Amino acid sequence: MPATDYQGSSSHSHPSPFSSFGRSLLSLRRDSPAVGASQAMPSGEEADLEAFQRHVAAHLADIRGEEDEFLSIEWIRRLLEAFLLCQEEFRVFVAQARRRGALPAAGEKLVVEFHERAVKALDVCNAARDGVDQLRRWERLADIAASVLLAPGEIHEGQLRRARKALSDLAVLLVDDTAASGSGGVASFLASHRNRSFGRARASPSRAAVAGASSATSASHFRSLSWSVSRAWSASRQLQAIGAGLAAPRAHEAGLAAPVYAMGCVLHLAAWALVAAVPCPDRSAALQAHHLPAAPPRAAFPWAPPLLTLQERLAEEGKRKDRRHSCGLLKEIHVLEKSTHKLTEAIDAAPIPLFGDREADVREAAAELAAVCAAMRDGLEPLERQVREVFHRIVRSRVEGLDSSMHNAD
Amino acid sequence: MAEDGEEKLLATVQHIVKTLGRTDTMTEDILKVFSNYDGRLSLDKLYATRAAAAAAAVAAAGGGAAGEHSVPASPPMPPPPAVPPAAAAMPAVTSLERTVRTLDRQISQFVAMDRLIWADSADADAFLEAVDDLIGTVQELDAAGTNRGLLDRADELLSRCMARLEDEFRALIERPDDVAPAAPGGFASDESEEDYDADDGYGDEPIPIAKPVSDFDVVIDALPPGSVSDVHQIARRMVDAGFGRECAEAYAAARRGFIDESVARLGIRSRTIDEVHSLPWEELEFDIARWIPAFKMVFRILIPSERRLCDRVFDGLAPYGDLAFVAAVRTQALQLISFGDAVSAASRAPERLFRVIDMYEAVRDLLPDLDPVFSDPYSAALRAEVSAVCNTLGSSIKGIFMELENLIRRDPARVSVPGGGIHPITRYVMNYLRAACGSRQTLEEVMEGDLGAVGGAAIAVDPDRPTSSLAVHIAWIMDVLHKNLETKSKIYRDPPLASIFLMNNGKYIIHKVNDSELGVLLGDEWMKQMMSRVRRCSLEYQRGAWAKVMSVLQTGGPGISSLPAKALLQKLRMFNGYLEEICAIQSEWVIADEQLREDVRAAITDSVKPAYVGLISRLKSSPEAAQDLFIKHSPEDVEARIQHLFEGVSK
Repeated sequence: MPATDYQGSSSHSHPSPFSSFGRSLLSLRRDSPAVGASQAMPSGEEADLEAFQRHVAAHLADIRGEEDEFLSIEWIRRLLEAFLLCQEEFRVFVAQARRRGALPAAGEKLVVEFHERAVKALDVCNAARDGVDQLRRWERLADIAASVLLAPGEIHEGQLRRARKALSDLAVLLVDDTAASGSGGVASFLASHRNRSFGRARASPSRAAVAGASSATSASHFRSLSWSVSRAWSASRQLQAIGAGLAAPRAHEAGLAAPVYAMGCVLHLAAWALVAAVPCPDRSAALQAHHLPAAPPRAAFPWAPPLLTLQERLAEEGKRKDRRHSCGLLKEIHVLEKSTHKLTEAIDAAPIPLFGDREADVREAAAELAAVCAAMRDGLEPLERQVREVFHRIVRSRVEGLDSSMHNAD
Repeated sequence: MAEDGEEKLLATVQHIVKTLGRTDTMTEDILKVFSNYDGRLSLDKLYATRAAAAAAAVAAAGGGAAGEHSVPASPPMPPPPAVPPAAAAMPAVTSLERTVRTLDRQISQFVAMDRLIWADSADADAFLEAVDDLIGTVQELDAAGTNRGLLDRADELLSRCMARLEDEFRALIERPDDVAPAAPGGFASDESEEDYDADDGYGDEPIPIAKPVSDFDVVIDALPPGSVSDVHQIARRMVDAGFGRECAEAYAAARRGFIDESVARLGIRSRTIDEVHSLPWEELEFDIARWIPAFKMVFRILIPSERRLCDRVFDGLAPYGDLAFVAAVRTQALQLISFGDAVSAASRAPERLFRVIDMYEAVRDLLPDLDPVFSDPYSAALRAEVSAVCNTLGSSIKGIFMELENLIRRDPARVSVPGGGIHPITRYVMNYLRAACGSRQTLEEVMEGDLGAVGGAAIAVDPDRPTSSLAVHIAWIMDVLHKNLETKSKIYRDPPLASIFLMNNGKYIIHKVNDSELGVLLGDEWMKQMMSRVRRCSLEYQRGAWAKVMSVLQTGGPGISSLPAKALLQKLRMFNGYLEEICAIQSEWVIADEQLREDVRAAITDSVKPAYVGLISRLKSSPEAAQDLFIKHSPEDVEARIQHLFEGVSK
């Protein structure tokens, strides 16, 4: 079938949604009475299954991208996009199986099982959305510091003071979120640093006086209260729930067993990457590889190798010394933390008035910070929208699943 | 030549200032010398009336060369070029030096204060004035661009002012009752603070708690008017000085506590979607019952009040107010919205319909009112989230409604209802649909599937027509119910009883439809069909149950009068037997509807009685008939027996 070849080859090179669109058209054609009526039924199902698995593999392979893009906002968006595409493929696959009448009660049960699993990812989406909002707050504070120091003219004490204050407020947020994430690391460095260096800057009589005026300390002003999921919620526990009972079907299990398994794995990967990337409550334990569900056998499923490659890279990244205690593995967070760190040190080391190398150091660090802030400003909005899209698509597909299984019963 | 000299002088001044540091008396002396150099900038002229109101500490000097700096409409401030460039540059620098020096002294005292500056309104005024002068001076220095050193110093001073202002700002928002009301004397005694606390303090602010509230036209004033104006004064200075972003962040951080607490007081427990998913319905229903008033309270009162407060604090300081507002309310707004998502994603058991409709209506009715609150681009995303949850709840309603259909279809025909009475599923479905009709405008809205438009202008839907989506869907459900009942009727071994069963259920359906708005939806045509269906069942019953009776009573037409008396007697005996049998069995059968029962009995009587009368009279008139002919049942007896059918009395 030439159409199939076309589909097979084209989907690999285009990560755009059009590829899935094209595929759906093809699927419709195959389902048309001319082909579908006679003996095509079993072979149609087989072909569909094969195509589905191949497409999932292609979508996952498409994510890879350049080495330095790994875990960037853009990369996470591609991953979520891949999940959405796979889910769309799955939807079409199930719809066709139903139309062919090839979906017995056991098959419907599997579909329901997948939807139940997917519903568990909704909380992850919400937590990730909050995480993205946290990032936005960090960005706002970091950008104040960076833009103050990048203003034309010499850097003087007033600007340093202002930058220091913004960085110190940022440090409070980072510490708080790192504590929520259940790790230490860069943020704890910043915390101690705050007491040492920012403390000096902030221990003005006014600050002490105002803080003393009430029992609420000034440090708590910037405490993050931004989790709309409850604080007791644990990202790692949620991930375990998403991955629970995810086991490769045996060879004789035909029909939906394989696609449902594939979708379960892709769902888990997407949720896992999201939790790994952005701050959310109790995420650090989630990075441990032993929390992962059993790896899909490479030989049995064409999508297993690309999926495992991504999984391994993520796990590796989580193990890296400089990332282990981060608030999130997102590349932009890493850069933000690094340049915040760098800028803080540069400011500390800088005598007033600034000149020569010292000033260059401060400006360089500020420029790095400004660059990552700009990247975050550009990227976070679309990322949040996409997280919401995943959320709504999961809800919607569950509804549609219920509806169509019902009409099919006629 | 002259300019050259001025440049040199300027450089010298800068050098001197740098080497001398800040508050040395020597500096002042030198500055005095420089300012006397040009009479146009005498101290008298510069420091005229500005400092009059200031505290004693700053009485000697104060004010500044720049004059009052008025609030610009937008943050990037065009610096007022107060000083004509070249000619006045040198003397201006001198006087500015002087100004910065005095401002430094003045401001340092405030910044060092170990209590809130705003605890004393005179202090606050003096401080603000100093800040204004400083901002003006910085702008002037910046515009002149000739004295970098002095500008840096002024800038540094400004950053200290801003840090302090931010602290005061936060304190005024978070604990307005720590600050005395602006008393004429400017001093707040402990007693007056207590009074303030007890009488109209912030702690007593009427925050409505989950009581049924019908009037949402309420605004919470979280801050006393005096505080709002104080806070606005500070915000203005911070934005003027280019610290608008810090100000917005500080505002949001300070308000969040109040907002969190207000929502907490509404008794809203935060639930994850997973929890909502696995919660028993009774508990979830309870949560929903609390969520609806809380949602209204937050989106109709709390958030609009926050908007108002924010607009007043940042009056004329856009876009910082918008930024601050979203940052303050976002988390709590999203948390409430998230519960709607969670309920939508949960089970679709039909009993959930009404609660979800309540939620949907609460959100939908709110949408138009949100437009003025979330009008700026920063809060557009929040507005979109509310729309989205409205859509999600809408499709959830649709899904639940469809699930009903599913349940009916799958309801197994296991046990028959005794006597062919009304099946529980018929009662359930009809009462359910009747109740659902109470929300038919809403149901129509979501069935129409035009969910994208929800939240914009209300869709002009006329739900009172049988062609509406809801009507079509309900007709479809009725069809599914009918099919299910037909299947269920098959488990009766007695076909007439199956007819009675269908008749009963059909009549019940008709009754419930006529009795409610369902009639309008389903229309006359549907009703006619339904009634003829019931009639058909009735006929089938009569035919099935009474056919052999009628055939026994057949004595032929008037022409055939030759039936022997023996045969007639045999017929009578058979009739008696059948009647006994029928009465024994069918007295246990049920026709629930009184009218229908009467009608069916009457129909039977109408056909049986005349035939029976005919048989008896035939018998009596038969020449072979015995004189002592025993007629067990008079026609009236037969009628009475028929009248006792369908009472459902089991022996």
